[in-house]
Amino acid sequence: MGKALRPKGWVLLAYLLPGLIIYSFVVLVPIFSAFRYSFYSWTGGPKKTYIGIGNYLELLRDEVFWHSFLNNVLMTVYGLIGQVGLAFIFALLLMSKIVKLKGLHRTMSYFPSTLAPVIIAFLWMLIYNYNYGLLNAGLTKLGLGNLVQSWLDLTGPIVLLVSIPLSWQNIGFFTLLMLAGLSSINKEVLEVAELDGATGVRKAWYVIIPLAKPTLVVASLLCIANNMRGFEHIYAMTGGGPGNASSVMALYAYQTSFLRFRYGYGSALAIAIIALTMLMILLSTLALKRGENQKGGAY
Amino acid sequence: MELQLELKSQASSRRLLPGPAKLMVNALMLLFTASCIIPLLWIGYSSLKTQAEFANNILSLPSAPQFGNYLEAIKITNMLQLSWNSARVTLLSVIGITAISFVTGYITARLDFKGKKAMIFYYLFGMLVPIHALLVPIYLLFKNFGLADEWYTLIIPYIAFNLSLPIMLVSSYVVGIPKEIEEAAAIDGLSFSGTMFRIIFPIAVPVLTTVAILQFFSCWNEFSFALVLLKDESLRTVPLGMSYFKSQHSTNYPQLMAGMVLSMLPVTLVYFTFSSRIIAGVMSGAVKG
Repeated sequence: MGKALRPKGWVLLAYLLPGLIIYSFVVLVPIFSAFRYSFYSWTGGPKKTYIGIGNYLELLRDEVFWHSFLNNVLMTVYGLIGQVGLAFIFALLLMSKIVKLKGLHRTMSYFPSTLAPVIIAFLWMLIYNYNYGLLNAGLTKLGLGNLVQSWLDLTGPIVLLVSIPLSWQNIGFFTLLMLAGLSSINKEVLEVAELDGATGVRKAWYVIIPLAKPTLVVASLLCIANNMRGFEHIYAMTGGGPGNASSVMALYAYQTSFLRFRYGYGSALAIAIIALTMLMILLSTLALKRGENQKGGAY
Repeated sequence: MELQLELKSQASSRRLLPGPAKLMVNALMLLFTASCIIPLLWIGYSSLKTQAEFANNILSLPSAPQFGNYLEAIKITNMLQLSWNSARVTLLSVIGITAISFVTGYITARLDFKGKKAMIFYYLFGMLVPIHALLVPIYLLFKNFGLADEWYTLIIPYIAFNLSLPIMLVSSYVVGIPKEIEEAAAIDGLSFSGTMFRIIFPIAVPVLTTVAILQFFSCWNEFSFALVLLKDESLRTVPLGMSYFKSQHSTNYPQLMAGMVLSMLPVTLVYFTFSSRIIAGVMSGAVKG
């Protein structure tokens, strides 16, 4: 841009500041204040006791927190399969010439993404409901009446059960993301591959997956970030129960702070969640980058 | 519709796959699409049944539509108040997001200045940071500043947490606008601000519309900040109000479903009105992100 159009420094600053101020107030300042509060034992009243790294020592021994962390990791794994993986297959199918009604598929599968997580949670509580649930009704219809049960009271597979609604809601988004990535692949490369006799699954495996790697990496990172901070679905669906079986880190931090009024410890949890999430994202970035150098798939 | 589809795909049989395999693939896709919609249709028609009728057979269609469920749901949830609160907060947040992302996106696309890279990174960081971990410090911060429990409380986090993607969308859209337009404007004596608002703004309306629609969903559906920052019942938003409705009236399922339908209505209307633009917007955001 020519010099004539360059605004004075203060004009530039005046334009950028409102965004930066409001963003910093809600994103950056809380991180610093959480760090500060995390060294105190504090129930919200006027009395704040400095306890050094006491909260962090407690956190290291806190089984519920680490169980919640593992649930987050497990949900991430389910998410990578149920959201990124399935979405990639659906996107491949939607790219092919075989599938009809592409517009309908795209429009309908994205629709759940636009609904509130709370509503998605209610919907799936109704689906899992013992007496009035779609799932049990379907099983009865199929003659599998012996499988009928109160699904959200199961401790064992509870993380899988609460991950299904998350996948259900987000798969349309990831399908669109994959479609965008796939459609930016050079058509000529695909045509050359077809001339060389690569079709169907072989084309997908040897040509499309390597070319789609950047999209798969972005989708995986987004999926990891989403699942590490998951809160609303679990809060509304199970409240972390039965017991703490389906608890996740953010929900545990919320309960610790707002139901047990342990603001100091809750702040330490917040710092731990941020650190663990960043660590997960960093590790997976490294892993995905390394996988890129070694072989085809991003998985 | 399924029958028609089968006929069509048979008619266009190509050499790659035999007919049955194509049918299978199409059936699979239809099944997937149906699974995204059928639970919602079930909620929709079940909300019109009496409680006894629903308990008797959860799958059957309502024999006589019970619109009374909707009246009850509106009354119990105070849905009009909830909708007004949500509409006010959402509208102002979306205006704020669109304005800030337009100005910031335009400047990052067109100007080089010290700290630009750091600023872009700073905004991107907001997409990765686990916001729900920060509910405690944000609550304490808002309380200390006297910003909690006001009608405008939610606008602040809603704007802040929805800036990252819109700034990127606007910025990459502006990069695609020929610079000659601005140079011509400068020769005609238009200032920087004049060029931004009078020349570029009208050109950027399509991307700003996409931003506004996408952020409408995000703000309308938000739950966590509303849960933590609002104690006053008269300020509750739709998702927050619904969560209390659920815990208080969890036995009358048709009524609960009526409430769910009502709370989904605005996003559903916006989605099916603008679906092609929304999908195009998400896809372009995905490529740029």
